[in-house]
Amino acid sequence: MTTNIENRISSELAATATASASGDRGDHVIPMWKQRFRIFTHNKLAIASVVFLFLLTLACYLGPLIHPTNQTNQALTFGYKWNAPPSLHHPLGTDSSGFDELGRIFYGGEYSLTLGFLAGFITIVIGTLYGMISGFFGGLADTMMMRLLDAFLSIPYIFLLLTLIAVFNRSTTFLIAVIGLTGWWGNARIIRGDALLIRNLEYSQAATAMGASKMHIVRRHVFPNSISNIVTVATFSVADAILFLSALGFLGLGIQTPQTDWGTMLQSGTSQVQNGFWWEIYPLAAVFILVVVSINYIGDALRDAFEVRLIER
Amino acid sequence: MGTYILRRLFQSVIVLIMVLLITFTLPYFQPHGIVAPAYEVLGTHANTRTVALWGAQHGMNHSYIVRFFAYVNQIVFHFNLGHSYKQNLSVWAIIALYVPRTIWLALSSLILTVVIAIPLGVMQAARRNTAFDYAATGSAFVLYAMPSFLLCMLMIDAFSFHSLHLPSSPPTQVAPWAMFTDPIGFILPVASLTMLSVAGISRYMRGTVLEVMVQDYVRTARAKGCSSRRTLFRHAFRNALGPIVTILGLSIPGLLGGALIVESVFNYSGLGIQTVIAATDLDIPTVMGITLLVSILTLAGNLIADVTLGLVNPRIRIEGTR
Repeated sequence: MTTNIENRISSELAATATASASGDRGDHVIPMWKQRFRIFTHNKLAIASVVFLFLLTLACYLGPLIHPTNQTNQALTFGYKWNAPPSLHHPLGTDSSGFDELGRIFYGGEYSLTLGFLAGFITIVIGTLYGMISGFFGGLADTMMMRLLDAFLSIPYIFLLLTLIAVFNRSTTFLIAVIGLTGWWGNARIIRGDALLIRNLEYSQAATAMGASKMHIVRRHVFPNSISNIVTVATFSVADAILFLSALGFLGLGIQTPQTDWGTMLQSGTSQVQNGFWWEIYPLAAVFILVVVSINYIGDALRDAFEVRLIER
Repeated sequence: MGTYILRRLFQSVIVLIMVLLITFTLPYFQPHGIVAPAYEVLGTHANTRTVALWGAQHGMNHSYIVRFFAYVNQIVFHFNLGHSYKQNLSVWAIIALYVPRTIWLALSSLILTVVIAIPLGVMQAARRNTAFDYAATGSAFVLYAMPSFLLCMLMIDAFSFHSLHLPSSPPTQVAPWAMFTDPIGFILPVASLTMLSVAGISRYMRGTVLEVMVQDYVRTARAKGCSSRRTLFRHAFRNALGPIVTILGLSIPGLLGGALIVESVFNYSGLGIQTVIAATDLDIPTVMGITLLVSILTLAGNLIADVTLGLVNPRIRIEGTR
C-alpha cells in the first residue's frame, strides 16, 4: 500500500521532470510561474472547470443580449404564463412568477457569481493579513488574536449571518460586506499556522541570523511560501460564499426582489417540487453544483501547482 | 492531565466572555435603535411616546456599558438569558422547549456520521483510485457543492413523493424523544443532516489515512512482514484518529448550522427554526440567547475533543506547558 503511494509521488515527480526536460530547458532556469502553469494545465479537469466558469460568467452577462427577457414585470402584468413547460419561446420554461427561467438563471447568476467572487476576495485579504500578523509576530498579540478567533469560530456561522442580515439590512452591498467581513476566520487560522511553521524553518532562521528585518522575512520568505495555501483557500472561500448566499436565499434573506440570486431561485423552484415542475429546479441545480464543483477542482489543481515538491528547478 | 484540563477550561472561559461580548455588541448597533423592535411588538401605529416608554421598560435607554454589565450580571449571577418581548416568554422557556429536539437531531446524525464516515474514509484510502473510491469521492464532491436545502428538498421529492412515501415532516407536538418511539417521521431529516456531514468527514478521513500511510513507521511495519490489513488498522488507522477527533469537535458549528437549514426545510421545530423566526421578528433577546447557547455547545464540544485527544496522546498535554 505504502509503496503504491510513494511510487505515485515519485512518478509524478518524474512526470514533471520529464515534462520540463522535454521543454526549453537549456542553460537558463524555467521561471517558477511557468512551471506552475504547466502543472496546472496538466490537470484536464481543472482546465475544463476554468473554461466552464469563464463561459458561464460570459453567458450571465452577455446571454441577456442574445436571449432578451423581461425580468422585472411578473406574469399578470403582461399575461405571460407562469409555470409553463419549456417551449421554443422559453427554452427552460417559466417560473412561478412567469419569469423566463433561462433569462432568470443569467440574471441571478450575475448576482451570485459577483457576490461570491467579491466576498471571497475580501475574505482572503483580511484572513491573510490577520493570519500573517498573528502567526509571524507571535507572543501576546498572537495569543489574544487567536482567542478572539476562537470566539468567532465558536459561533455557528449561519446563525451569525442570519442575525446580521435580518437585524441590519438586506441590500446587496451589505450582503457582500457581511459575507466578506465574517467569512475569514477559518482562512486566518490556516494562514497563521503556515506563517508560524515557516517562521521556524531553517531558511527563515538563517535570514534572521544574517540580520534580515522582520518585514523582509515576511515579504521574501513567509508570504511566498504560504502563497499555495492562500490561493487554495481563496478559491474555496469563493465557493463557500456562493453556498452561504444560497442558504440565505433559502431563508428569504438573500438578494431581494426585483433582483434575484440562485439560492432564492432554487428556493422558489423547490417549493413547487410536488407539482413536477422539473424545469424550475434541475437546470439551475445542475449549473449551481457544476459551478461549485469547478471552483473546488480549480482549488485542488492550484494546490498541486503550488506544491513545491512537484516543481523541478 | 489535571493541569491540562484546567488550562483548557480557563481558555474556554476567556473565549466564552468574548462570545458574550460579540453576541451583545452586534445587535446593539442595529441601525434603527429601539424603533424597529418596538414597532414589531407594538405595531406600526405606535406613537413616539409609546415607543420611548417601551424602550425605557426594556432598559434600552441606558448606555452601552451599563447595558453590557447588566446583561453579564443577569446571565452569570442570575442564570437568566432575558425575556423575549415578541413571544412574551423568558428566553430560557423558549430554549428549554426546543433545545432537546435540536440536540437529539444533531447528536443522532453525529453518531451516524461517525459510524458511516470513518469506515468509508478508511476503505477509500485502502482502495485508493479504484471505482469505489472514485464513486465515493465524486458523490462527496457533489454533496459538498450542493446547497444543503436543495439536498433536503430532493430527498423529500425522492422518498416522500415518488417512492417509500416517508413523511416529509416529523410530528411537531410530541415529546423530544419521539425520535425513538416513532422514528418514521424523523428518517428524512436525520438522513439529510447525516449525508451532509458524511460528505465532509469521509473526505477528510481519506486524506488523513493517506497521509499517515506514507509515514516511515507504516513502511517499517510493512517491511517487518506485517499484513496490509494489520498495517492499515493497527498503524495507519490508529494514528489517523487524532485529527479526526479534532475535526469532529470542529464540525459541531457546521452540524448545528446544517441543522438550522434541515429544520427549516422539514419544519422540525427546533432551535434553528426559532432562530430564523426570532431574527426576522427582530426578537433580539431570543436571538442573543440562542446564539450564546449554541456557542457554548460548540465550545463544550471542542473542549471534549481536546481533552479526549489529551488523554490519548500525551504529546498534546505537554506541548502547551512549555
